[in-house]
Amino acid sequence: MKRFDYSDGVLIYYLPRELDHYAAEKIKSGSEKIFDENNVEYLIFDFEKTSFMDSSGIGLVTGRYRRVHDKGGKVFVVNVSENIDKILMMSGIYRIIEKKETKEDIIKDMVAGGCYE
Amino acid sequence: MNNTNEMTVRFSGNAQNESFARMVIAAFITGTNPTLEEVSDVKTAVSEAVTNSIIHGYRKKSGQVTVYAKVTGRKIYIEIIDFGDGISDVKKAMEPMFTTGPEEERSGMGFSFMEAFMDKIEVESKVGEGTTVKMWKEIGTAGRQFE
Repeated sequence: MKRFDYSDGVLIYYLPRELDHYAAEKIKSGSEKIFDENNVEYLIFDFEKTSFMDSSGIGLVTGRYRRVHDKGGKVFVVNVSENIDKILMMSGIYRIIEKKETKEDIIKDMVAGGCYE
Repeated sequence: MNNTNEMTVRFSGNAQNESFARMVIAAFITGTNPTLEEVSDVKTAVSEAVTNSIIHGYRKKSGQVTVYAKVTGRKIYIEIIDFGDGISDVKKAMEPMFTTGPEEERSGMGFSFMEAFMDKIEVESKVGEGTTVKMWKEIGTAGRQFE
């Protein structure tokens, strides 16, 4: 299964069914190179397949957020189920990261923000 | 009729066993007739405690994690036990956002999540001897005040 997709400054993580410490470590080490070699302007966490997440998932999201935000990039979460929403809400992550219904909504944001000028 | 049920599992402190621990506890508590949300709450709390044992208790060392659980009626009691490094300052470790590894992208929310998802938790720890996390939750109590 494809874990992430990168092109033209947009990185999408396709998160696994269970986002725990084990999965988070794999995702981190698997995508380190992308951050080292590119300027990620838009980072999208796609929770479509995810039904379980614990605080390790929060660590992954906030850690990646810091890397992207420091360089002026934007971070989003999409396809968040009720279950995952509860965890994200409790963590206070919505203070720094925006939730969108779908990836299409983010593309609208990119166009509005002049990313595709 | 004796309505108490107990179980113990012990497994290697490897990260891939985190999901095993969640599956075991979810299966064990089905007799309490929990909602999906309650199952998810217990799984999250157990996942946090087991992850702590693996990351902090055993770090790079090997060791075993024990999960003991007891169900009495709709009351659940769980212990997560390791014989790892232990915690020198439990109070500090339980503070929200406290983490020994910010550079490892840890959130520092493990204990906060355990407290949020269970009715009560207690942590016993001795440096060099290990840590036991005790957790209690009664199923079917959420929203009872509205009945």
